[in-house]
Amino acid sequence: MSDSNSTGHSSLSPPPPGSRRSPSPGGTSVSTQIALRNMRRLEARRNMEENHYLTQKARNCNLNPPVDLRALDYVSKYDDNLVCPICRCPLVDPVLLMDCDHCFCRECIRQTWTTYSPLGPKGDCPTCRMPAKLGPRASTSKILVNILDDLVVKCPKSENGCKSEIKRGEVQDHITIYCGYAMVECKDSGCGQSVRRKDYDLGCLHYNVSCESCQQNMPKAELETHWQLQCPDRQVKCDLCSSLIYYRDREEHRKEACPAVNVPCPGAPLGCTNKSRRAHLDIHVKGCVLAKLGPVLDAQKQRMDEQESAHKLINRKLEILETGFTAMQDILSANRSGPPDNGSTETLIVPSRSRAESTATDSTRIASADDYDFPVPPSNRGSAIEPESPPTTNTTRSSTTPRTTATPRSLTSPPLRPAPQAPFPRPTDLPPPTTTDFDLASPFSTTAPGADGPYSSPLHHLLSMHESLRDEMARVSAALTELDGRHSMQILNENLRTRDEIAYLGGQVAGMGRQVHWLTSAQLQRQTPGGSAAAREVGTGASAGGGGAGGSVEGAVNAMSTAATALRGAARVVNVGGGQGSPTSPGMRRGVSEEGRTKL
Amino acid sequence: MAANKRIMKELGDINSQPPAGCTINLPNESDINNWEVTMQGPPESVYADGHFKIHVSLPKDYPFKPPGISFKTKIYHPNVSNDDRGAMCLGMLRPDEWKPPNKIKDVLALVRTVLAAPQPDDAVETGIAEQFKNDKAAFENNARDWVERYAKGA
Repeated sequence: MSDSNSTGHSSLSPPPPGSRRSPSPGGTSVSTQIALRNMRRLEARRNMEENHYLTQKARNCNLNPPVDLRALDYVSKYDDNLVCPICRCPLVDPVLLMDCDHCFCRECIRQTWTTYSPLGPKGDCPTCRMPAKLGPRASTSKILVNILDDLVVKCPKSENGCKSEIKRGEVQDHITIYCGYAMVECKDSGCGQSVRRKDYDLGCLHYNVSCESCQQNMPKAELETHWQLQCPDRQVKCDLCSSLIYYRDREEHRKEACPAVNVPCPGAPLGCTNKSRRAHLDIHVKGCVLAKLGPVLDAQKQRMDEQESAHKLINRKLEILETGFTAMQDILSANRSGPPDNGSTETLIVPSRSRAESTATDSTRIASADDYDFPVPPSNRGSAIEPESPPTTNTTRSSTTPRTTATPRSLTSPPLRPAPQAPFPRPTDLPPPTTTDFDLASPFSTTAPGADGPYSSPLHHLLSMHESLRDEMARVSAALTELDGRHSMQILNENLRTRDEIAYLGGQVAGMGRQVHWLTSAQLQRQTPGGSAAAREVGTGASAGGGGAGGSVEGAVNAMSTAATALRGAARVVNVGGGQGSPTSPGMRRGVSEEGRTKL
Repeated sequence: MAANKRIMKELGDINSQPPAGCTINLPNESDINNWEVTMQGPPESVYADGHFKIHVSLPKDYPFKPPGISFKTKIYHPNVSNDDRGAMCLGMLRPDEWKPPNKIKDVLALVRTVLAAPQPDDAVETGIAEQFKNDKAAFENNARDWVERYAKGA
């Protein structure tokens, strides 16, 4: 308090030199003085706010200490986002940190930050560790404050008997103004002690009495509390049933046990409106149909709920099965109109490659048409089961490997084969199945020749075949992509090497060109006395007087040009192969050939 | 008061939804600042079958000061000191690293994580840390041996 006063003063009047923060020798500039003054003004404002807060806190704490909002029992459920991360209670006087916007109780952040700066508390955000501070008016939006104030809490005097539940924002008022269990000054002005508000009108109660049950001495004002909470012996008569009960158990007795209290019939939820004393309830229950029915109906309700959930599950299953079935039918009908070679194969073990390919293409079609992972009801061929078929239960799975001999092929073909004959055959319509057909039916023939079994097992068989085919397809496509990648890599490597070679050849040709150039110039110099005639001789191909030297030059030039064309051809080949020729080599080549040409 | 309230809250919270493999009780009912946690070794670690007693002491100004963690059961672990105190070195618990919003539940979860994956670079017992780094098989043998010897009693 005194601190704030002094600084408050100093901002108004020139401060005494000793209190200055910076040791400013006489000639400090005006600007620093202004800055200092602003600093002090801010500081003063900050201190004023602090003091306001403190005085508010200290207000009225003589009789009823201010309510600690953190110690309250919350009746209403509150959102987790309203909880201060430090004290884990719904925020009390929330403040928002500057820069990071995290929210805490003012009190909590004050306790967390031990260092103070002149411009207010400052430190790292306890949640995100960012350097943060409280703004000059660090508070949060009114909305948040209102939400917090609307939380319903129990009166802090509930232990003493107050039963009110109030909004949190009104708790303080409730205590200071209304609550009957809050303390007020005694009516007797000479007494100077406090008394509960509801007992205020009874006059001064501050004389000693002794508890009639346990003989303890205490002021009259505290007698009831004593009975309620401590006294081990105090018994009273229940005013309804006139039985002796402990004073502290009064409420419970009335609620749970007192035979004179009117209670509703246990059949009340079923519609019985009767209310009778707890003691006579038995008599009523004996005659009440609804009360008797109660437990039975409850059990039935429970069972019904169970059945309902089970029914829902079954319905869902049925739905899925039905969609699967229709899809299966679609596939089968599509097969009937499919390529003729599907139906024409009579033997299932087809060694030829082409047969395998045709089934493969077909299976892809099936796989693409069949997008669900659920068992699809089979065509009715399930009933056409032959007992003598070998029980090769595992063959369905073995068909997953793409290159395993004939077994997978023999397994993949059957679903396609009979389709053209009877797309949706009733079991009776089926043509007598051949034994080979029964590679398909074999896995389940052992399981269910009975009435309803066969439907599920061929179905699974077909499904697993689809699965395996799909797996196979995936594997083949993966292998293809891998091959493709490897191939392109190889081409790239080869291309690189060729390009290197060409570059090397180009370099050599250039070197040769330089040599030729040197040779021709040497020749020319030798013939300088001949002047322009000699030059002409060289220009026309050195047919006349050039002699051996001219001839050799011409030969070299010719060799050069052939080399250049060969190179160009090679480059073209590489360009075609690689798609992109090296941009330097054609230019260089042209340069060489042009050089040769000019020399000619 | 606020500290007590928060500790009570956390205690209620942790009792209603105990973190995996931990049971909490108060050795002294009236003193909520000292907890005793029995932690099962994390499965698939060398401590899997052990039950470790951990003493958690909450300072008076708890959410503002970090709690102390000490192993009452001996454990062969690079991050737990091999003496009477059984102090555990956790970055989170260092006074300058501690954040008031951290909860005991988080701390216990971290302890369990460190049991599952020791951090030899942040070790208290350098010898064990060396062994953990260089000769893992021997470390695991030793750790199992200690679990057998000390942590099976519970």
